[in-house]
Amino acid sequence: MPRANASRTLRILVPFLVTAGGILVGYALSVGLPGYFVFLGTSAIVAAIAILGLGIVTGSAGMIALCQLTFAAVGAWVVAGLNVIEAPGGFIVWLVLGGLAAGVVGILVGLPALRLRGVNLAVVTLGFAAAADVTLVQIQFPGSVTGTSIVRPEGFGTDREFFFLGILVLAACGIIVYFLQRGRWGSSWKAVAFSERGTASTGQSVPGAKLTAFAVSATLGGISGGLIAGQVGLAFASSFSPIQSLALYVLAVMSGAHLIDMAIFGGIIWIVVPELLKRWGVPQDWGFVVFGVLGVQALTSGTNLGTGIRNLWWKRALKKGGTATNHLTTDVSATPAPQRTFSGEPILVVRDLSVTFGKVEALKQVSFELAEGSVLGLIGPNGAGKSTLVDALTGFLPQHTGSVTLDGRALDRLSPTRRARLGLRRTFQQDRVPPSLTIDGYVRFAARRRLTAGEIAEALEFFGCPPASTRLASVDVGTRRLVEVAANVLARPRVLLLDEPAAGLSHEEHVDLGRRLTQVPARFGTSIILIEHDLDLVRSTCDSIMVLDFGSVLASGPQEDVLADPAVIKAYMGETELL
Amino acid sequence: MSTLTLTDVTVSRGAGPVIRDVSLTVESGTITALVGPNGAGKTSLLEAISGVVEASSGTIAVDGEPLGKLSRVRRSRRGIVHIEQGRAVFPSLTVVENVRLASGTAARAEEAIALFPELEKRRDSAAGLLSGGEQQMVVLARAFAAEPKFLLIDEMSLGLAPVVFTRLLPMVQRFAENGVGVLLVEQFTNLALSVAGQALVFSSGRVTFQGSAAELAASPELLHTAYLGGAASA
Amino acid sequence: MLQGALSGLAAGGVYAIIAVCLTLMSRLVRVVNFSQAATGMFGSYVAVWMVSHAGLPIWLATIAGILVGGLLSGIIGWIIATWLSEADTTTRSAVTVGPLLLLISLSFILFGNKPQPFQPLLAGPAFTVSGVVISQVTVAMVLLAIVVAVVSKVVLSRTTVGTQLRALSERPTTAELIGIPAKPLGVAVWAITGIISTIVIVIVAPSQSNDAIALSMLIVPAAAAALLGAFRRLDLAVIGGLVLGVIQGFVAQIDQVSFVRYFLPFLFIVGLLLWNQRKAVWDAAR
Repeated sequence: MPRANASRTLRILVPFLVTAGGILVGYALSVGLPGYFVFLGTSAIVAAIAILGLGIVTGSAGMIALCQLTFAAVGAWVVAGLNVIEAPGGFIVWLVLGGLAAGVVGILVGLPALRLRGVNLAVVTLGFAAAADVTLVQIQFPGSVTGTSIVRPEGFGTDREFFFLGILVLAACGIIVYFLQRGRWGSSWKAVAFSERGTASTGQSVPGAKLTAFAVSATLGGISGGLIAGQVGLAFASSFSPIQSLALYVLAVMSGAHLIDMAIFGGIIWIVVPELLKRWGVPQDWGFVVFGVLGVQALTSGTNLGTGIRNLWWKRALKKGGTATNHLTTDVSATPAPQRTFSGEPILVVRDLSVTFGKVEALKQVSFELAEGSVLGLIGPNGAGKSTLVDALTGFLPQHTGSVTLDGRALDRLSPTRRARLGLRRTFQQDRVPPSLTIDGYVRFAARRRLTAGEIAEALEFFGCPPASTRLASVDVGTRRLVEVAANVLARPRVLLLDEPAAGLSHEEHVDLGRRLTQVPARFGTSIILIEHDLDLVRSTCDSIMVLDFGSVLASGPQEDVLADPAVIKAYMGETELL
Repeated sequence: MSTLTLTDVTVSRGAGPVIRDVSLTVESGTITALVGPNGAGKTSLLEAISGVVEASSGTIAVDGEPLGKLSRVRRSRRGIVHIEQGRAVFPSLTVVENVRLASGTAARAEEAIALFPELEKRRDSAAGLLSGGEQQMVVLARAFAAEPKFLLIDEMSLGLAPVVFTRLLPMVQRFAENGVGVLLVEQFTNLALSVAGQALVFSSGRVTFQGSAAELAASPELLHTAYLGGAASA
Repeated sequence: MLQGALSGLAAGGVYAIIAVCLTLMSRLVRVVNFSQAATGMFGSYVAVWMVSHAGLPIWLATIAGILVGGLLSGIIGWIIATWLSEADTTTRSAVTVGPLLLLISLSFILFGNKPQPFQPLLAGPAFTVSGVVISQVTVAMVLLAIVVAVVSKVVLSRTTVGTQLRALSERPTTAELIGIPAKPLGVAVWAITGIISTIVIVIVAPSQSNDAIALSMLIVPAAAAALLGAFRRLDLAVIGGLVLGVIQGFVAQIDQVSFVRYFLPFLFIVGLLLWNQRKAVWDAAR
């Protein structure tokens, strides 16, 4: 496919071309700007790098981090310290080391808050910012007492040249963040911001996603701090106060700093607002008052400038294309596929699985086997424990008793992430597909293996999903669930638990989905447990059926026998005389 | 006498409408059963009446006066009481505290608790420690204490044994006898129809039958189609 | 030794009271309010300004300042209750970073960035314990912490409003459906905790470093104290505040490690978070 290759090359090339253009503009500015603006411009670059980091942790990963400038202080400290001891390598090496040191500090500070919900990180980081601030004032930066100015690298000695160095560093950070955001890490950040359970169910470790976001963010903070040190020559604690960290956080939120252009825009605002106030003779503190008001506005409305602008753009695109939906009802029987045969041996064995919540027994001694290559239907009235069973099997209820064995391997006590990696996957009743990703990004993230564009296109086509380049935000909820199914099937798990995958689809589409699901074992090598209310779908899909009622297995066996069982009819419909 | 009137009510969630163009009149002292498979939009309809969600079009009126954008709190003061799905007790509050929250006077709360001898015995226990059936009694007692004009009940039987549920159903009838207009969403179809006057069958967000409950109970094929789709009735 | 530990008790009382406010806010209106101390700071500054610039008698200015603190807090609460009534705790808490920034900056503009000429409301020693002088401020703070916690507890468990508030915190939608007015009650909680925070800061500000940032950052040790009770238990919040204050006072006495005291709240937070997260929990909603 030469065309696909060409577009792929273009996709990789474009960001580099944009960066090169940016560097050229930066060079022109470094030559052409009046001296005073060169200094301001360097400050804007420094702020933009710090905001770029915040964009990752707050914008993409959805956490609150209130100590970005404390990480900057770590970077500045390391640069100043290496300068004083005249460490080899010079400024650029010190800058990188400063960034790495800040990243390590970030990991240490972030660790305590990882498993608990987001607001804890805010408390930790504010505490860190406050403590570090008082300490820095007391102990001072290395060299500040003796007045040992930081030695700028050769060729970047003047302010103009240093401005250009800043441009180069910003360009490097920007391109790295661009590829991180589009890679596995970036997907995991966006996934964890939307749903922790959804993230874990794809085999991605939730603490891992949070920690990488926080560490990358802190590293960028450290680099920005190192640049400050180089810019002013002597670092002082007042450049890194907690209140400025708060303002930077607010600015990152309201500009939408997960977008690289908006982070740069944020850096410019950071400098322009106080500068304008100064020229108008207004106290500069009004700048932070304005940030505070706009921040409250942005946080209460859940909007930000960057997303707002992009949405306007997408809306125009949408008007042309409309909301993406599925095309399940088209026939797929024609598409040829490799066929597998199965031994019929049990792939998943569950023994005496019980779950209690307080005094309520949600599952009582559930035992069953899933034959390899089969589709098992799990039905039962509302509140019978079906979703609890899925949660317990996939590790979201670690308090369960009994045993779960996948392909001969005991899964008990393993986390949801581990179970997913071993090949026991699930989908959710609620929408857990992060809308900030494209279908392609999500499928690659969830599948956790190298996929060719052809493989993805084929699986999406099979499940009637929109094309891979579609943004999930513009896909209707029912179809998002299909994308979730397709992505999980592409992960080639041994067993896939589907929790009402047809909710949100029309009745006709239910049956079409069922037809496809019956082909999944042979086509993808995955055995399926299907939880479903629509008996039509169950009938058309499942070889055997298990019925749960009040947390116990009421009946299980071949479809015809189970559906004819009077006890089942009674449990499901609440009456016998109807059938 | 009061009347709750729904005219062409459509409720949307996320991507699109979950329930379309429902028109319905509930009179004081009657029970209306809403039945149909899960995901048919019955819960959303009740939520639109009580103000948990906003109807995207159509009007909901009490005695001809549209409720418009009234808040949940205001609607409850107009006599609309909504019993949500699951066991909507406040778990750390005692039985008495739960019931008193909804009542104007302590006497009314006592009257409500006295309806259930089981609750009388456990009046000072935290509601979260009660069994599922007892929790549902707390919810019913709380509804009684609120002196509703219209009572919206969503799947009271969820997770309860049918035996327990048959014990609660007479209370629903008692509400109606006292002049309350009841809207009953229920998965135990036959039990619901046995106490209801009017019945509506929902399927995929649309009303597929609207008429007397007796008529529906006498023609089970209507229900079959709704629950099991075309294949089952063939 | 004892001298140091007891000298930290006043600060500990302040931490405890603000921790109680934070705990109430977290339980009742689902917010970790980062502007809790900042509203108190701003109210106190207004009081000082009214004395020094408007010439009001100190008691009148103090009352006015306390009301300003309550009003500010109420306004923030109203904004959150109006636009984020269904949002999760993290989103609601993030909003309060805005007012924190805003109030500090506004106080710089209105009152300058120098420490304020507070006139002490309470001064002088209350009594002496084995040679160590206990100030009136210390006694007031510790008593106030205990009183606020006990009164809150009694109000929550014994009164109708308290029952309504607990109902709201457990099932907000259900509470509204039975006619409990969520928004007015929520705003009232905000206003009351704002008033309490201002009272504390007005009393304690004359006897400690009282620039806007130092006072606003009292939120950090207070949050550490509230974490001891996992933002749920009032008694542990009080104990946490007092213990933290005493340890800080004690450490400050030892010259070699005196700078450690700045990191104590942070270390407290880190330790408690690590302890609280021993077990993985999967929040059903996310």
